[in-house]
Amino acid sequence: MAAISLSGLTKVYATGVVALDGLDLVVDDGEFVVLVGPSGCGKTTALRMVAGLERVTSGTVSFGDRVVNDVSPRHRDVAMVFQNYALYPHLSVRENLGFALENKKMERAERDRRIRAAAAILGLQDLLGRKPRQLSGGQRQRVAMGRAIVRSPAVFLMDEPLSNLDAKLRVQMRSEVLRVHRSLQAATLYVTHDQTEAMTMGDRVAVLQDGVLQQYDTPRSLYAAPANVFVATFIGSPAMNVYEAGLETSGSVPTLVLGSQRLNLPPQIAARVAAYQGRKLIAGVRPEDLAVSSGPGLVADVRLVEVLGSEQQVYFSVDATQAGGAAAAADESAQAGILAASAPNGMARLDPRSGVRAGGRVTFAVDPARLYFFDPDTGRAIGR
Amino acid sequence: MTDVKGRGDPAASQRAAALPGLRSDEGATREGRAAKAARRRAAETESTIPVELYGLRRGTVTLLTTLAFLFAIFTLVPIAWIVINSTKTQANIFETFGFWFARPFSFFHNFSLLFQNVDGYGTYIQWFGNTALYAVLGGAGATALSAFAGYGFARFSFRGSKVLFYLTIAALLVPITALTLPLYLTYAKAHLINSLWGMVLPSMISPVGIYLMRVYVDISVPRELIDAARLDGAGETRIFFRVALPLMVPGFMTVLLISVVAVWNNYFLPLLIFNINTRYPLTVGLGLWSERAQNSGNAQLFPMVVIGGLVTIIPLIALFLILQRYWRGGLLLGSIAN
Amino acid sequence: MFTGRRGRSAWIQRRDRRGIWFVVPFLVGFVLFMIVPLGYAIYTSLYTSKIIGGTVFSGASNYTQTLQSSQFWSGVVRVIIYACIQIPVMLVIAFFFATVFDLGVAKFGRTFRTIFFIPFAVPAVVGAVMWSFLLEPQFGPMVHLANAFGFSGTNFFSPSLILPSIIVIVIWEWTGYNMVILYTALKSVPRDVVEAAILDDTPLWRIIVRIKLPLVRPAIVMLVFLNTIGALQLFTEPLILSYFETGSVSANYTPTLYLYNTAIAADQTNLAAAGAVILGLVIVAISTASLLFRRRRGEFS
Repeated sequence: MAAISLSGLTKVYATGVVALDGLDLVVDDGEFVVLVGPSGCGKTTALRMVAGLERVTSGTVSFGDRVVNDVSPRHRDVAMVFQNYALYPHLSVRENLGFALENKKMERAERDRRIRAAAAILGLQDLLGRKPRQLSGGQRQRVAMGRAIVRSPAVFLMDEPLSNLDAKLRVQMRSEVLRVHRSLQAATLYVTHDQTEAMTMGDRVAVLQDGVLQQYDTPRSLYAAPANVFVATFIGSPAMNVYEAGLETSGSVPTLVLGSQRLNLPPQIAARVAAYQGRKLIAGVRPEDLAVSSGPGLVADVRLVEVLGSEQQVYFSVDATQAGGAAAAADESAQAGILAASAPNGMARLDPRSGVRAGGRVTFAVDPARLYFFDPDTGRAIGR
Repeated sequence: MTDVKGRGDPAASQRAAALPGLRSDEGATREGRAAKAARRRAAETESTIPVELYGLRRGTVTLLTTLAFLFAIFTLVPIAWIVINSTKTQANIFETFGFWFARPFSFFHNFSLLFQNVDGYGTYIQWFGNTALYAVLGGAGATALSAFAGYGFARFSFRGSKVLFYLTIAALLVPITALTLPLYLTYAKAHLINSLWGMVLPSMISPVGIYLMRVYVDISVPRELIDAARLDGAGETRIFFRVALPLMVPGFMTVLLISVVAVWNNYFLPLLIFNINTRYPLTVGLGLWSERAQNSGNAQLFPMVVIGGLVTIIPLIALFLILQRYWRGGLLLGSIAN
Repeated sequence: MFTGRRGRSAWIQRRDRRGIWFVVPFLVGFVLFMIVPLGYAIYTSLYTSKIIGGTVFSGASNYTQTLQSSQFWSGVVRVIIYACIQIPVMLVIAFFFATVFDLGVAKFGRTFRTIFFIPFAVPAVVGAVMWSFLLEPQFGPMVHLANAFGFSGTNFFSPSLILPSIIVIVIWEWTGYNMVILYTALKSVPRDVVEAAILDDTPLWRIIVRIKLPLVRPAIVMLVFLNTIGALQLFTEPLILSYFETGSVSANYTPTLYLYNTAIAADQTNLAAAGAVILGLVIVAISTASLLFRRRRGEFS
C-alpha cells in the first residue's frame, strides 16, 4: 500500500509566487524516495507540506488511505531531520533523543531502552552526556537521525541533511543514512540538490524544476531514459552535451545535422525521429559515450584536457550551437568576456591513453544508439 | 527552508520578477504602497510558525488578545488622562470626570502659561530649550565618543585594550546615583555648579553606548575592508570616516536615540547640579512645579504641570513612532543578552 | 624587522597602537567625570566640617555614623524588599507578553508592542506626576474606580499603600522595555528547533518552559541585573509622590533619597560622600551577587 500519496499538491505564497505546482507522487511502504532539483524548485516546500509545517494551497497529502491535509503535524507520526539538525541546544544528547518520548509520557525504563538502542545503531553511546555545541557536524547529524529512530515513525523526512557536511563526510554519511532507513523500515522522503546523492541513495527519484515535477523514476531509468532536456542535463555528472540539430536526408539516408557536420543515422534510430524529418530538434550525447574514432566521426577542436589518471576530461568545441540550459551557461561566459570562439561547448570522458592534446583536433566516434533526442520547443524526449 | 526566493537561481528570480505585484514602480502610488504593505504583512506571517500548529484550545487567541488589550489600556490610561486634562482649568482637573473633557476648553490658555514665569518658579519654554540643548549636545557627544571608542576597541588591539574595555563595562556596575553625588561635590568645589557643560559633558560618557557600538562594528565592518583601505594608502582617520562610519549608521542611530532619550529624561544629575531655575531641564522644572503646586497655594500650577508634562512627552513619543526602525535596535540590546 | 610580543611585526603593533587615539576622548571623559569625582568623594568622606573648628580629618567616622544609622539601613531594607517584589512581577508580565507576541497567539501584536513601549519615552518625573494625579486620594480617578469596586476610602498614598503604588508606577514605566528585549531574544530562537518540537508533539507550555525559556536565559539574567541596579537606586518616584503626600515618604525612604537629603537639605556633604561610597559598594555587591547567583543556576553561554 502506498505509504505517502501526493496528489496535485500545490503551494502558492501570499506574494503570488508559485512554489509547487500540482505534484503527483506515491511513496510505497519502506521505500526511499529522493526529491531532487536546483534551489527554488519546490522540493523543500513539498517536504514541509508532507510534514504539516506548511499550509497546503490545493491538492492532498495522504498517508495510506487517510487524507492528512487537516491533521496537525503533531499527530501525523512523522519524524524529520532538518538541514541544520535543529537539535535542542541546551539539552544533552540523551535528553535530545528522549524529548519526544517524554512528551508521550513513556516510562523511564522503556525510554532508556529506546535511547540506548538508537545510540547503538548510530554509534552515539559515548556522546550521550554531551551538548550539541560540543559535537562535530557529523555527530550532530547522527543525533538528529537518532531522534527519529527512537520514535519509530510511520514516515521519515529528511531536508538536505548532508549539505552542511564536508565532501568526504558526506560520502560516509550516505551509507549511514541508508542504514538508518533500513532499520526504521519507514517510508522515507529525502530532499537534496545533489544529483549524486539522489542517484546513489534513492529507490526512486523525483526531479523537480520551478515547482513542476519533471520525471519520477528509478535512477537507472532517469539516466538511460530522461523524459526531457532538463532531466537529461541535470542527472549524470558531468552533464550531457546537448546541441541544436536538424534532420535531413542525403540521398535516401537519414542524416543528423550538427553545425556543419553530418552523421548518418541507421534505420531503427531514424524511425524513432521520423516525425522530425526536415525539422529542427535537440540532440544529446553523454560525455562517457564519446570515444576517439579511428575513422570518420564528429570533428571537434580540443580546448582543454584535464588528466585525472583514470580518465581524461576533454573540453572541446564543435561548430554546433548548445541547446537548453547549456545555452544560458554559454551566455554567461560570453558576458564574462571569454571569446565565444574559444569557449568549449562540449565535454568528453576519454580513456587516459587517447593521446588528445589541447589546441589540436579530435574525431569522436558517435554511436547513434547512444544519442538522445528532444523536441526543441517542449524539451520532451523523442521516441524512446 | 523555503527555497522559492530564488537564491542564486537566475531562472527562478527572473520568473519571480515577471510575476504581477513585484514591479518596482509600486512605491509611487498609494495603492502600490498599500499592496506592498499587505504583502509584507503576509510575508511576515508566513515567516512565523502558523498558530494552529501549537494546538491551542479554542478561544485562547481571543483571551490573550483581550489580556494584551487590557494591558494596553493600563499603559495608555495616564497618557489619555494627561491629554484630556491638559485642556481643563485647575478647578476642573479635580472636580470633573478624569477621562472626559469639560468646559471651558482651556488648552490654549494653559499652553500660553508655559511661556510665562509664574511666581518666579521658572519658565517652561526656557526649560524646554535647555532640555533640547542638553539632549542634543549630550546625545550627539555620547554617540560620537561611543562610535570612536567602539571602533577603536573593536578593530585595534593595542596594549591594554582588553583591560580598558572590561573596565568600561565594569563601570556599568557602578550605580549612577553613587557617581552623581561625587560629581556634584566636585562641581561644588570647582565652582561648576549651574554650568551647561557640567550637565552635558558627563552625559557623553556612556559605557552602554560603547558596548553597543563595539558589537555593531564587529558585526558590520569587516577587517578586510579596513586592511584594503590601508593598502590603498588611506590614513586611519580617513578610513574611519569614509569606510567604517557609513557601515555603522544603523547602530549609530540606535545609540543616538538611546543617548538623547537618556539625557532628556535625566533627573538626578540636573537636580543636584543646578540650583537656579533658568538652567533647569524639563524634568527638574516639572518636579519643582509639582512640589510648589501642592505647597505654595498657587493652584495655577496644577494645570501647568499637566500641560507641561504633556508637552514634555510629545517629542519623544513622536520620535519613537517615526524612528521605530531603529528600535529594532532592541536587536542590539538583545545582542547583549545573547 | 623585529617582531614584538606574540610574534606580531612592529608595523602591525604600531598600527594597532594608533587605535588608542580613538578611545582617548572617551577615556579622558571617563577619568574626569567618573574617576576624579570618585576620588574626591572618598577624600571628602574622610573629613568632617564643623561650625566651630572648620574641616578636620575624621577618618572613618562618617562611615561609622552612616553604617550605624538605622535610617540608612531602613532605607536599604526597604529597597531590597521593593526590588524583590517589583522585579519578578514585572519580568513575569514582560515575559508573558513577549512570548505571546513571539508566538503570534494574539492579534495586533505589532500595535500592542509599540503601545507597551511608549512609557519608555516618558521621563520618570512625568510618569510619577501622571500617576500622582490618578491616584490622588480625594480626586483621583483611580480612587473613584476603587470605590466602584467596593474598596471605598482607599488612600493610595497611605504609608501602607504607598510602596505598592510606587511598584505599580515603576512597572508601568519599565515593562515595555523589558518586554522588547525578551521578545528580541525569543525571536532569535531558531525556528527549526521549535518545528522539531512540534513534530515531537510537544505541548505549547512545554515548548515555552523547556525550550524557549532556557534559551533566553542570558537575556533574563541581564534584565534581572539591570533592573536590580535600577531598583536599588529608587529615587524619583518616591520624591515626586512625597510632594503630593509628604507624610508617607520619609527623608530616608530610599538610600538615594537619604543621600540626596543629607547632601542638599542638610548640607552635610562629608557625610553624604561617605554615604555615596557605602551605597555604591552595597549596590555593586548586590548586583554582582545577582549575576553570579544566576550564573551558577543557569547556563550563561
